[in-house]
Amino acid sequence: MAELLRAEHLTKRFKGLTANDDVEFNILAGEVRCVIGPNGAGKTTFISMISGHLQPSSGRIWFRGEDITRMPVVERARLGIARKFQTPSVFNRLTVYENVELAVLGTGRPSHRREARVREVLELVRLSEQSNRPTVMLSHGQRQWLEVGLLIGNDAELMLLDEPTAGMTAEETHSTGELVRSLARDLSLSAIIIEHDINFIRNLEAPITVLHLGRVLAHGNYDEIARNELVRDSYLGH
Amino acid sequence: MTEANRTRVLPGLPPQVRRVREPVVAIGVFAILALLPLLFSGYVIYILPQYMLFGVLAMSLALLWGFCGMLSFGQAGFFALGAYTMGLCVQHAGAVGVNAAYLALVISMAAGTVIASAVGYFLFSAGVRDSYFVIVTLALSIIAEQIAVGQSQITGGWNGMFIPRMELSLWRWKFPLDSDASIYYVIVVFVAATYFFLRWISRAKFGKVLAGIRENEDRVLSLGFKVPLYKTATFAISAGLACMAGALYGTHAAFVAPSLAGVLFSTEVVVWVAIAGRSSLLAALLGGIVVSSISNALSAITPQYWQLVLGVLFVLVVAFFRGGIAGAVHRFAAHREG
Repeated sequence: MAELLRAEHLTKRFKGLTANDDVEFNILAGEVRCVIGPNGAGKTTFISMISGHLQPSSGRIWFRGEDITRMPVVERARLGIARKFQTPSVFNRLTVYENVELAVLGTGRPSHRREARVREVLELVRLSEQSNRPTVMLSHGQRQWLEVGLLIGNDAELMLLDEPTAGMTAEETHSTGELVRSLARDLSLSAIIIEHDINFIRNLEAPITVLHLGRVLAHGNYDEIARNELVRDSYLGH
Repeated sequence: MTEANRTRVLPGLPPQVRRVREPVVAIGVFAILALLPLLFSGYVIYILPQYMLFGVLAMSLALLWGFCGMLSFGQAGFFALGAYTMGLCVQHAGAVGVNAAYLALVISMAAGTVIASAVGYFLFSAGVRDSYFVIVTLALSIIAEQIAVGQSQITGGWNGMFIPRMELSLWRWKFPLDSDASIYYVIVVFVAATYFFLRWISRAKFGKVLAGIRENEDRVLSLGFKVPLYKTATFAISAGLACMAGALYGTHAAFVAPSLAGVLFSTEVVVWVAIAGRSSLLAALLGGIVVSSISNALSAITPQYWQLVLGVLFVLVVAFFRGGIAGAVHRFAAHREG
């Protein structure tokens, strides 16, 4: 698999606080990766630097071999780096269909291919039956899914998912894991996932990076991480 | 999505999930407007075109505010710019050999578009939004009024500027619009054309992106849309239309004074649109026509209190009917449909 994204020596300082300190990270096409860590570990800061919402103080980010460190959000989105925010960021007063339609419009597809694409995406995120409903009428979990649908409809290649299962029922959480895995397997869609739900992370069977106080504390699969003394002390023990 | 599905809307929502009946109602309204000169004459037919142009001004604000979420207190500034442009062109451009009024319509539209593009591009690229944008547009109105007052050698200052009535011409054929009915029809056509143009925009890809910006600007940005360009284009179209309407107003009213550019008039436009409902073009148009004529009637009956009446109405609408009358009607219809 080809390398999709690489972050080198990524550091972000906010005045006195170092939110990310010399973070090294890389992800392949079609790979799913988890980033975990206690509150304030710098997970969201890390994602924000990848998506372009924050500029790193130092370090570099490469996407498909191109240096995107200084590239604005819009252009990164056009390259295929798409972000799901912590609280669902969708268009509440538009219908589900119109939400995904906007995402598809953003890809510049010719108009006769748009509707089929919207239907396809709605099918993937299991919202076909809701397509004509206003988004405010969806459950919280469905809104999370809709936002994932926006990323897919926007032709994302790398999805940055910030707590995608927050506020979901156990069943919804389970299907979210299935969705992410099937997207990676079938469509070769990569994902970097920030999560707190340890069961969700275990079920994903994806490599895990542990951040603590802005630094990479450990890296490995679930069992390796669970055995790691440092990680236990700083995070899992809580 | 089928049209039938679009008619059902959640109460209180701006009808981006749009009802199908609006253009039908609009055609009816334009038909009635077109028939009025056959039934009436005199003051009604004289004054109605001015209110219709206020309606266009209101639609230009609905495009900006209702579709894209950007409130502007600068629309009157553009309207007055159009009127002054008409005056200056008709006075000075007679020698060029083309119809000076046509020239004025083109120049006024271009002037509004260029000014709004320049201002908008810098503001929106720098991330200025919401109330900061409102404040800048407020300043635009004040600047326009101050220029109209200050540059009296060009504008006539407080005395205002007299503007001859335009005439239609095509090659050798000339048709003066001196009669009330003749210019009435020209303006009805302009108003209808503006309505259908804006409606077309609102349903095209451009309009869908604007709705997205209104609902969640950051999300639209994250989907890879160049939001500042969309907002700049919207502001430019809105300003261009306001200028053109102003140019026609100038030639119809035969007079323009600095107060036409002022904050007070700009605020009135906001009040019309808020009361009528900013999410519907037709509501904005009717709001411009009806509320401004009511204001006029009130100002004759009770010169001291009419603005108070309008102000109270405005506060009530903002407090209880966010979507204005159109929103309330729509909610009622949705309620009845179950």
